[in-house]
Amino acid sequence: MCPPEHFGVLYEINPWMNREVAVDLDLARSQWGDLVATLTEAGAGVELLEPQPGLPDLVFTANAGTVNRRRYVPSRFRHPQRQPEVDYDVAWFEANGYHVSWLPEGVRHEGAGDALPFRGVFLAGYRSRSDAAAHGPLSTLLGVPVRPIELVDPRLYHLDLTFCPLDDRRAMVAPHAWDSYGRKVVETLVPEPLYLEAEEMLGFCANSVVVGSTVVMAQCPRRVGRLLEGWGFDVAVVDVSEFLKAGGGCRCLTLALDVAIGVPGEPPPSTGTSAAR
Amino acid sequence: MTVSEVVQVDGHIIDSLILAKVLDVIVDAGADYRMVDVHIGRTNVDSSHARIEITAPDGEALAALLAELQIHGANAVAQGDAVTVAADMDGVLPEGFYSTTNLPTQVRMGGHWVDVDNPEMDCALVVRPDGRVRTVPMHRVYSGDPVVVGRTGVRVQPLERPRGANPFEFMSSEVSSEKPKEQLVARVAERMKGAKAGGGKVLAVCGPAVIHTGAGPAVADLVRAGVIDVLFAGNGFATHDIESNVLGTSLGVPLGDDLPPEGGHANHLRVINEVRRRGSIAGAVADGYITGGVMYECVKHDVPFVLGGSVRDDGPLPDVYTDVVEAADAMRAELQGVAVALMLASTLHAIATGNVLPAGVETYCVDINQAVVTKLADRGSHQALGIVTDVGLFLHTLIHHLVL
Repeated sequence: MCPPEHFGVLYEINPWMNREVAVDLDLARSQWGDLVATLTEAGAGVELLEPQPGLPDLVFTANAGTVNRRRYVPSRFRHPQRQPEVDYDVAWFEANGYHVSWLPEGVRHEGAGDALPFRGVFLAGYRSRSDAAAHGPLSTLLGVPVRPIELVDPRLYHLDLTFCPLDDRRAMVAPHAWDSYGRKVVETLVPEPLYLEAEEMLGFCANSVVVGSTVVMAQCPRRVGRLLEGWGFDVAVVDVSEFLKAGGGCRCLTLALDVAIGVPGEPPPSTGTSAAR
Repeated sequence: MTVSEVVQVDGHIIDSLILAKVLDVIVDAGADYRMVDVHIGRTNVDSSHARIEITAPDGEALAALLAELQIHGANAVAQGDAVTVAADMDGVLPEGFYSTTNLPTQVRMGGHWVDVDNPEMDCALVVRPDGRVRTVPMHRVYSGDPVVVGRTGVRVQPLERPRGANPFEFMSSEVSSEKPKEQLVARVAERMKGAKAGGGKVLAVCGPAVIHTGAGPAVADLVRAGVIDVLFAGNGFATHDIESNVLGTSLGVPLGDDLPPEGGHANHLRVINEVRRRGSIAGAVADGYITGGVMYECVKHDVPFVLGGSVRDDGPLPDVYTDVVEAADAMRAELQGVAVALMLASTLHAIATGNVLPAGVETYCVDINQAVVTKLADRGSHQALGIVTDVGLFLHTLIHHLVL
């Protein structure tokens, strides 16, 4: 995570952003601190990235890149405003001993915001921010199958606003945000989906962080809370309203470093399962 | 005219339904596709690949479709520039030269697709110093000419039979003798009028049977009326046309009611002899020896004609090209602007013409013998529409519909 020392809405690159809406930096700092505390309490360890002046969105570390085990693929941002973040992200991963592999130039991919691990594959969003052309190279670099999902609602510009893995069988899913092919792909992949209503989806429900059996959410509609608790999850709500002004929720403020899918090191074995294709 | 492009899509395209989506997007856009190849990954991380050839109604539709497909990760297969090798001898092509079709062809040079000026089958592609690309027959290649080799950077556009109310649509099946001729000829007349209105030329390719069947005056009418702009034929057609005008016979047989005259078999030789005495058909017209007929009208109305010779020709007439290579070049020189070709009761000249015609020229092959049309198509002139009927009847009906 990255402390919000230089956070603000300084430009508009998604429908949520409005430069005329002022960010209360003190409030943002305290909300961010609450989020760290909640995650830590739930059992997560938090590593910090040093904030940089002029890079207000560095705080949204979900977009720093895509991680699997010790492999790290830096993002290639669509918007020039965020492109300078990459140098600081890469420096951190290099300093922490990750193997850094780059996507080819000219394809765009915005990291874990558009690539979420579930049941041995990465579900990957494209169209708004990331390119479908990134998925082939991403799969090769991370040694994991990648299944593209087309995002059709500009308000839901990253996959992590529409999909939230809960455990090995369950996920919160927002089919409204995907095209019909994407819906079928998720339907096939997720044995027990929790379908989010449009309102819940726009309330950043899917942009939650799951630590063990705790779901850390920006807000929790009653219906969703009951369903999650019925499955045995604890819901922890953290107000991140200052960050929602920039179109980012709890999950956007974090990057999971404990992703480990496929077989470490060498490419996974020939299983011939449906996941192969 | 349809246009094609090959796109490639990689990744986990089966389970992600990306392949299905790409194919649906193509069909929804009104385009067609053909799978060039599909490789399906075997292991967990092996990705799959598919190459898909897309055919769209026109360039604009293709560009829009390619842009849409790119969003889903399907990209046009990167094509390199065409490779050229300098010819090392006059009249000899470099090994591996690209052999042309008669379809509209483009060559990629410096990252841009350049249209080939004059599509013609069985030729080579030569890049001119000004960057234009022309088809050149083998014998016209000179040492040092940059000749395209291999298939890289060359693409042809499949020809679609023209849409709309035209004879091709009407004749959706292949050549057949079992089609109502009247409407068919009426539509050919409409197409000819349309082509002429658009500034296109009409080429007639005539065999001697045009004269034998008494259709000579009809062709002469079409030349006089300015319908026929270019004429290709052989020694036989021109000879019998002149013979029928001067002596009233065709190959010695009277075209009226009379019985064959004594010694009529030599009539055509006497005619050839007299034209040779006058140096050319134009000379014989100027001299008053020829006073009517197709060749007469061609001379009078400055309609260019090319008479290609053959081994069995009598004479031949002085205008006949006795060098076949020169004859073919003379034919090529007259093709500029031709939009419609009428192949009238001619087998050999029709095929020779088919060889030098671009595929875009609407070609109507009129013959009493179905095999002629088939032959033409078998030699690569797929754009030919066959009309199986007597050429005399065809021409009279055509003139009626052209309202001459």
